[in-house]
Amino acid sequence: MIGVSAISQAQPRVPEMDKSPMDMSYFPANYPVLKLQGKAPAAPIARIIYGRPQRDNRQIFGKLLEYGKVWRLGANESTELEFFRNVKIAGKPVKKGRYTLYAIPDSSTWVFVLSKSIDTWGAFDYNAANDILRVTVPVEKQAESVEDFSLFFDKTDTGCMLIAEWEYVKAGLPISL
Amino acid sequence: MGICESRITNIFVSMKIKIHALVLLFVLAIISCNSKKDIKATTESSENLQSVKTNPYTNLDQSPMDMIYYPENYPILRMNHGDTVPLVARVIYSRPHKKGRQIFGEGNAFLCPYGKIWRLGANEATEIQFFKNVSIAGTNIPAGDYVMYCIPHADRWTIVLNKNLYTWGLHVDETKDFFRTDVPVMEQTPPAEDFTMIFVDASGGAGLLMTWDNVKVVLPIMFLK
Repeated sequence: MIGVSAISQAQPRVPEMDKSPMDMSYFPANYPVLKLQGKAPAAPIARIIYGRPQRDNRQIFGKLLEYGKVWRLGANESTELEFFRNVKIAGKPVKKGRYTLYAIPDSSTWVFVLSKSIDTWGAFDYNAANDILRVTVPVEKQAESVEDFSLFFDKTDTGCMLIAEWEYVKAGLPISL
Repeated sequence: MGICESRITNIFVSMKIKIHALVLLFVLAIISCNSKKDIKATTESSENLQSVKTNPYTNLDQSPMDMIYYPENYPILRMNHGDTVPLVARVIYSRPHKKGRQIFGEGNAFLCPYGKIWRLGANEATEIQFFKNVSIAGTNIPAGDYVMYCIPHADRWTIVLNKNLYTWGLHVDETKDFFRTDVPVMEQTPPAEDFTMIFVDASGGAGLLMTWDNVKVVLPIMFLK
């Protein structure tokens, strides 16, 4: 038995609110709300957990995030992409499970990197030996700047697109079922 | 979840702070007599709390999500030391703010009334993941994912692990309850503005400390060999 009184003598540090708050997106979108309404399929297909940095008047791509460098696709902890069933990414099979998703931004293309090294911080210990796959996708430029980094799933004919948006940049990772 | 740079070093009480906290609570109680009852304030994203920024896709949340690991700051340990440290548990939850509201108490004037289910957070149901088998109050809890919620009372919280995963916090299917245990309520001084969970070390395991406003509880978790 753990002594609760012993615990209460300790002085744990209470974590402060984060500047880049964590968020979660599901596919199907808003799965927990659909489930609450009785409209959800038996299980979700995917979800992503990530930190949401703000642009805060900074130049992001090509400056804060250098082209060609591995980026954690968020803030703080590495971004976690979980599949609740087997899927395909760019035609390659990916097994149900938890993964880390990184991106390597460039001016006209991004490389998405799916890694099996999970529960880690940032991209500081990134190791290509843990790559499951890499996909190069085109960058779409946006007319209006997005202040908060956003990751979300859009439905497609064959599954969904995981969309990343920040500043004037949009890139998508195609996922099929 | 960031690494705290400024740390609250002495959250456990001097008498002076206690008295200040009581005065503060009294003032807040008077202020909130006129405030609109809003049980849903930690729920459907609090219409009374205005969003500061807008985003064409998904706004930042009033009650941001956060994540804690045991061992504490596991992702940083793993970044620095690889797989040498075993991972035990993780909680994913959202962190509502007190914002002058009355949180725990008897009756519907309180945000989390005694005897009513509370999601232990905001928005999505709070999720606790065990990466190895553990024991809570003498019951073996197999490794896996659980929804965790609570039923607050004046002197104790009933903590419930439930198997209805990936749901919104308001949707509790009690038929999927897996385990319940009561933990005693302790005083939190100074009061916590943001709902906070943190793992604390304890011999043979860890305690999951949960605090908001002027109360805290600790759920003792034993690690099995």
